[in-house]
Amino acid sequence: MALINVAAREIHCKIVYYGPGMCGKTTNLQYIHSQVPKDVKGDLLSIATETERTLFFDFLPLDLGKVRGFQTRFHLYTVPGQVLYERTRVAVLNGADGVVFVADSNKAKMQENVNSLKELAQNITRQNKRFAEFPIVLQYNKRDLPREVLAPVPTMDHFLGVTRMNWPRIEAVATTGTGVFETLRAISRAVISKL
Amino acid sequence: MDPQLTSIIVPSEEIAHIEECLSRLVDDTGSDYALLLDKSGQVISSKGDGDRQDITALGALIAGVFASTREVAKLLRERDFRASFQQGVRENIFIALIEEQWILCIIFNKGTHIGLVKVLTKKATDELASVLERVRQQHKARDEVLGSSFRTSMEDTIDLLFRD
Ligand SMILES: Nc1nc2c(ncn2[C@@H]2O[C@H](COP(=O)(O)OP(=O)(O)O)[C@@H](O)[C@H]2O)c(=O)[nH]1
Ligand SMILES: [Mg+2]
Repeated sequence: MALINVAAREIHCKIVYYGPGMCGKTTNLQYIHSQVPKDVKGDLLSIATETERTLFFDFLPLDLGKVRGFQTRFHLYTVPGQVLYERTRVAVLNGADGVVFVADSNKAKMQENVNSLKELAQNITRQNKRFAEFPIVLQYNKRDLPREVLAPVPTMDHFLGVTRMNWPRIEAVATTGTGVFETLRAISRAVISKL
Repeated sequence: MDPQLTSIIVPSEEIAHIEECLSRLVDDTGSDYALLLDKSGQVISSKGDGDRQDITALGALIAGVFASTREVAKLLRERDFRASFQQGVRENIFIALIEEQWILCIIFNKGTHIGLVKVLTKKATDELASVLERVRQQHKARDEVLGSSFRTSMEDTIDLLFRD
């Protein structure tokens, strides 16, 4: 839930990028960090293993400046995707206002996508929040994969139950930035609609 | 709407209470720093030696570490885990939970005894728990605080800053 500090006239929102390992969560944050104006972004903090895999989380604070007199801050996090780190994901998800679920468009990753989304639903519910009302945006990443391995969008919709849940869904290539800001705009809008 | 999704609005007078409480804690224990965080990692208020540049990252990390430690405790079937202590060479960190929502964090050095920190932190968390209780009760309308056109302005800002 967002935090509104009336004395300091500040609003804070927390957005978490969730999804299976290697789907491109960290790449999303890196691209955002490389593109937003200097006065908007803080340092990108990554707690990674030696092999560059996310161990705890990546963290990117964004300062949107004053909106109607309120200093508005968005904090973006990624979770480590590997199955091993389930408990760590629970920790990072704590108090999130919205989630970007990054799905891997590789056909071979469909089951991992589905498992990760199921786990997300469980973890949101465990925080006593209603999953159906929780702000979620889906990103189908790696749309640049070769045709042989690329899962068609309707197939992914079907597996992830998008049509049923009415989530916004965005196709992306995080490495080149395609769809990255569209995703960020979509989740930001979803989060502020609940403020 | 799901009450769990609505914002926590901390009014000015409660921020003043929080600041007073943190200042007193720093003064009475001789600590370097006291910090109140939301469980999401956002800094609500901080008191102590000068302006820390790294406070935003510090908040994110402390909340993350504390949440992880709680998950560890759960795995060990420890039910009531509300505080944690980290001992460093120069600085020590004591962290206490307030009603599953806020995290109070005290950073102190060798000159301060941990026993004193624990006792005074307990007092402070009780006080902050009543602040939190009042904050939760008041249910101020969002429009009353933000103004009705806030959302539209916010959307414009998002479109302006988050573009390709
Ligand atoms: N082809 C392709 N590779 C990508 C894309 N996004 C990320 N990757 C690659 O996938 C790997 C894992 O990315 P990373 O962001 O670390 O994944 P994370 O585990 O979800 O944080 C890296 O080698 C990225 O370069 C994409 O859109 N297309
Ligand atoms: Mg990563």
